[in-house]
Amino acid sequence: MAEKEKRRSGATPPGMPEGKATKSDSDREFLSQAGVGELLRGAILKMVEARSDDPIGFLADHFCHLASVTETGTAGCSDGDQLNGPMSAGAQEQQHLNRALWHLRLAHHSQRSAFSNNVRVAYDLLNLTGPCRRSAEVPEGGVRGGLYTQTLQCLCSEGGVPASTSAPLLRRLHCQDHEAVPYDVFRHGVLTCAVFSDYIRQAQRLYAEVCCPDEGPASRALCLAVLGTLKEALETSQGCDAIRYLEASAKISPYKLAQAIAGAQTRGPGGDMDAKEFENAAAELFITRVKVLS
Amino acid sequence: MSDSADDIKPVSCTIKPPVYLQIGDTKTDPSHSGVCVVDVTLPFGKPVNIEEITFKNYYTAYVTVRLLRRSPGQEVPAKWSTTLRDLPLMDNPHTEGGSQDYFSIHRTQMQVEPDHVVSVRLILRQPSFAWLTFSLEDIRIFPHMEPDPEKEVSDWLSDLTLVDQHPDLEGLPDPQTVSSSIQQMWALTEVMQTNQTTASIGRFDVDGCYDINLLSLT
Repeated sequence: MAEKEKRRSGATPPGMPEGKATKSDSDREFLSQAGVGELLRGAILKMVEARSDDPIGFLADHFCHLASVTETGTAGCSDGDQLNGPMSAGAQEQQHLNRALWHLRLAHHSQRSAFSNNVRVAYDLLNLTGPCRRSAEVPEGGVRGGLYTQTLQCLCSEGGVPASTSAPLLRRLHCQDHEAVPYDVFRHGVLTCAVFSDYIRQAQRLYAEVCCPDEGPASRALCLAVLGTLKEALETSQGCDAIRYLEASAKISPYKLAQAIAGAQTRGPGGDMDAKEFENAAAELFITRVKVLS
Repeated sequence: MSDSADDIKPVSCTIKPPVYLQIGDTKTDPSHSGVCVVDVTLPFGKPVNIEEITFKNYYTAYVTVRLLRRSPGQEVPAKWSTTLRDLPLMDNPHTEGGSQDYFSIHRTQMQVEPDHVVSVRLILRQPSFAWLTFSLEDIRIFPHMEPDPEKEVSDWLSDLTLVDQHPDLEGLPDPQTVSSSIQQMWALTEVMQTNQTTASIGRFDVDGCYDINLLSLT
């Protein structure tokens, strides 16, 4: 990635002054001139918010991102018809998309406030692309439909969801190219994709558990029984929330699952189910509950 | 009480036409005595526990309510009892006050418990000579609704207290780990569902088709 080439710092550090007494002063001067304090403070704040598992990688990403931002910062909003020379509209859009994705990756969806902030930032970023605007104008309308769909696709593939599995989900969430996506829809779509990637990962883990202790593919009856309990739990709909949760969790308690698993051995279709089929079946349970965008 | 009075439908009953009591010969002396009786019979074979009786007054000064009650099960014949005597509807029988008001008699105002009622008799009195006729209109009887019994404890709740009978699970996946994975998947689906937005793009398409001719159908 071209952005990975770190911007070589143009300013060479000032030469070391003679004498030890002034050494620390000029160091301090240099640091304040370069604005390093601000830089580091910003990086640490971001890290605390994101609580990433890989601090070094996170910091590397952060500075890389900053570098690309400042590089094209002045080019973002050009005046009037004067299009920025080297940056075509398409490439600019791609860059905004990458930046938005970077923001969306910062926090897991379970960290509610951090995730919401990041979604807001990403939305504002993507809202900027389009016909050249003066920086003073407030963007209106919404994110371009095609850009929104692209964002969702990238989120799903980055989350480890194969394209074939996420296709039905995207069909429910996608927007036409000419449509303007408002913030609520954008947030919902992004959250759904993030949750979906987690869900698919969980489904893959589940298949591995159902497979064991054997190494081969799991029996079809077993898979169907296990997925059946999940389906039943999802279909609990009546009563207030608390009752619904209690009833659903009773249906997927270890005891119930033990019954289902034992029962599957004696009755149920024969044959095996491979990982892909299992994943698709689990995905279907999720996707049928996603509201179609209209 | 969770139900409001609006939810309760009045019992369908037959209201007989008012019978004006006459003194003396009806043919020669057509004047009223100022007493009128209205019989309200409730559906046969279905005694009612009355919650309240509502009606609209029409120049009636006093009303007495009598109930014909039949205790269930016992072979005792039904008995008439007076549950409310001379309830004033008008402050002054000669003046307009209360003459066309809406009234409601609740079971708490009744001296006799209005349960297992078969028939209701309303005795109207209007001693004033100022009014040619008097009656009650739109008489409705509302049954007493028992509050809903607590919903039965569902099967799933009783399942929770079952002693753990460990089925033979040789060579089968561990239910604990499978259950915990499924619980997480369920929770993720719940998160997605609770965050559904009602916002819409505002499309005008039908089944993904932007055919202009179809716009008029949506």
